Amino acid sequence: MTKAKVWLVRAILLLWSVQLIWLAWYFAPEVKELAQSVADRRLGEEVRREDPYYRWLQSLAGLIPSGATYIFLDDYEAGKEIIARYHLIPRKHVLLSPNVPPIFLFYKVRQEKAAFVIIRDKERPPGPGLSAALGSPAFQPLDVPGPGLVLQVDYLKVRGEFYD
Amino acid sequence: MIDLAVNLLRLGLGLGAVFFVGHGIQALALPISGEWRKLEQAAMNFGLGTVALTLWMLALTLAGIPFSLQVTLVPPVALSGVILILKKRSEKGMVRRAHPAENRKPKTENLVWDRIFLALLALLLLFATLRATFYPMWAWDEIATWGCKAQVYFMSRSLDLTCIEAHNYYPNLVPFLLTYLYLCLGQVNDHLAKAVFPLWGAMLLVILGFLLRRMGLTRTQTRGTVAFFALNGTVFIVHLHLAYADLALAYFALGGAGLIYLWLQDKAPRGSLAVAAVMFAGMAWCKYEGPPLAGTVLLAAALTLLWLRPPGLGGRLLRLGIPGAGLASGYLPWKVYLIKNQIEAGSDHIMGFYPHQLLPSLGYLVDGLFNPFYFGILWPAAFLALVWAGRRLFNSASLFLALFLGGNLLAVILAYVVAPTGAAEFEMYVRATLDRLLLHLTPVAALAVGEGVKELGEGPGANKSPALFPNPHHNPL
Repeated sequence: MTKAKVWLVRAILLLWSVQLIWLAWYFAPEVKELAQSVADRRLGEEVRREDPYYRWLQSLAGLIPSGATYIFLDDYEAGKEIIARYHLIPRKHVLLSPNVPPIFLFYKVRQEKAAFVIIRDKERPPGPGLSAALGSPAFQPLDVPGPGLVLQVDYLKVRGEFYD
Repeated sequence: MIDLAVNLLRLGLGLGAVFFVGHGIQALALPISGEWRKLEQAAMNFGLGTVALTLWMLALTLAGIPFSLQVTLVPPVALSGVILILKKRSEKGMVRRAHPAENRKPKTENLVWDRIFLALLALLLLFATLRATFYPMWAWDEIATWGCKAQVYFMSRSLDLTCIEAHNYYPNLVPFLLTYLYLCLGQVNDHLAKAVFPLWGAMLLVILGFLLRRMGLTRTQTRGTVAFFALNGTVFIVHLHLAYADLALAYFALGGAGLIYLWLQDKAPRGSLAVAAVMFAGMAWCKYEGPPLAGTVLLAAALTLLWLRPPGLGGRLLRLGIPGAGLASGYLPWKVYLIKNQIEAGSDHIMGFYPHQLLPSLGYLVDGLFNPFYFGILWPAAFLALVWAGRRLFNSASLFLALFLGGNLLAVILAYVVAPTGAAEFEMYVRATLDRLLLHLTPVAALAVGEGVKELGEGPGANKSPALFPNPHHNPL
C-alpha cells in the first residue's frame, strides 16, 4: 500500500470516529427519553395517551359509529389527518380542505352520506364551507372537549345533489 | 405484566414460524445445506419466510378466503415441515460438503477490535429494538400507508382498500406481514409488531457480514465493515425502528445483489441463484421501486459477464434467468390483482418528462450522498474503494458493483425528472424520498467498501485479481 493510501485510510477512520461521536450526541436525547420510558415501564398505548390530540380522537371514536363516514377538514401537509384516519379506522374518512366552498362541502356530505364533519383546528377562522355549515340546521355542533370542532350532520337535510 | 409476557410469546412464535417457513423454502433451493452456515441460513430464511407467507396471503385474497391465523399459518408451516422431512430423508447417507476452504482467510484477527465492533452493533440493535417496541407507530408513512393498511386488513380480515385512497397499488409484503403479526397477537398492537423491523435490520447485517466473509475479508475486517455500514449517518438507524418498507427492500436488494456478486466471482455456495430468486421476488413484492431495482441487478450482472467474457458465457447468461423467474413470481401475482381490480399504478410518481428538474435533482443527489447526516462517510468511502480498484475494476466482477451503483444513481435522477410535482413541492418531494431511495442501495455500497477493506489486509504478494472467474467449471447453482 502506498503512503498516500495509508493516509487516506487513516483519514477515513478518523472521520468515522468523529461520525460515531456525532451519532452518540445526535441520538442522546432519544436514548435519554427511551431510558426514562423503560424505567417507568411506559410503552405503546400509554405513550400514545400522553398526546392530547390522540385523547381527542379517542373521544371521537366513542362518538362516531364504526360504520359511519366523517368528513375531516384539514390541510394534508399538517400531517394530522392521517393520524385521525389511523385511529378512527374502520370509519370512512373523507379529507377536504378547510377552505372548501359550501357547494362542494354540501355535495360531499350528501354523496358520502356523512354523519359527522370534523374540523381539526377550531382556533383557525372558519372557511366559506364551514361558515355555511354552521348556519345550516343540518349541522349540529357537539360539545367534545379538545383542539377541534365536531359537527353532527343529518345528510338528508342537506341539499346538494350535484356538483359541477 | 402477564399480558405483555403472553403477547411477547405469541410474537416470538409468530416470528419463529416465519423462519420455519423460510427454512422449508431454503431446503427446496439448496441441494446440500452444509455449504451454508447456520446463522447465514437463518438470516436468509427470514426473508424467504416473509415472501412465502405474504404471497400466500395474496393467494388467499385472490381466492376470496378471509384471513385467519389457521388459514394463514397452517398450510405454509405444514408444507415447510413436509419439505424438511423429505429433505432429511433424501440427505440420509449423503456426505455434507464442508464450507469451502477457499473462502476461509488465515486467522489474522484482532480480538479487541472484534469485540469493540460487536459491542457497537449490539448497542445499536438494543436501542433500535427498545425504540421500536416501546413507542407506537407515528411516523408519516407508518400511519398513512404501511401500518394503516395492516390495521385495515386485520380488521376486515382481507385486502380491503375501501378506506384508503392513495397508494393502493403499492405491493403488500410489509402490510401483510404486520397483519400476520396482528393475527398472531390477536389484536392490533402496533408497537410490539414493530419488533420485526430491528430484526429485519439485524438479519441484513448478518447477511452483509457473511457476504463480506465469502468475499475474503477476515473476521475483524468483516465486523469492522458491518459496523462502518450500520453506524454511518442516521438513515439506517432510524429505519431500524420505523414500520416502512425501505429497510425490507434494502434487505432483499442486498441478498439478491450480494449473492449474484458472489456467483459472478465463483464464490457463491451452491443454491445461491435459487435463494437470490426468492430475494428478487421479495424486492418486487415489497415496494413499487423493487422491480426496476431488481432489473438493474440483472442488467449489471449481464453487462459484467458480457464485458468479462468468462468461459461458458452463454450458460452463465442463461442462468440469470433463475433470479429473473424469481422477479416475475414476486411481481406478477400483485399485477394480476391490480388488473383484476382495475387499480391504476404509479401515476402519482411517474407522469411525463420534466427536464428542468434534472439539475436540481443532481444537486440533491450529491447532497444525499455526501452530507454526513444521511449516510455518514459510507458513500465517499465506497467511491474511493471503486477508484482504488483502478484498472482491476474493469477486469474483475467488481465491475458489477460499479455498474449497479452507478446505474441506480442515474436512475434516481431519472425518477425525479419524471416525477409530477409543482415547483414549490419539488424540494419537499425529493427530501421526503431521496434518503430512502439511497437506503435501498447503501448495503450494496458497503460491499464496495468491503472490497477496499480487503485490499488493506492483502500483502504485496496477494492475488490482485480474485474475481476473475477462477474456476469456470464450478457450478454454484
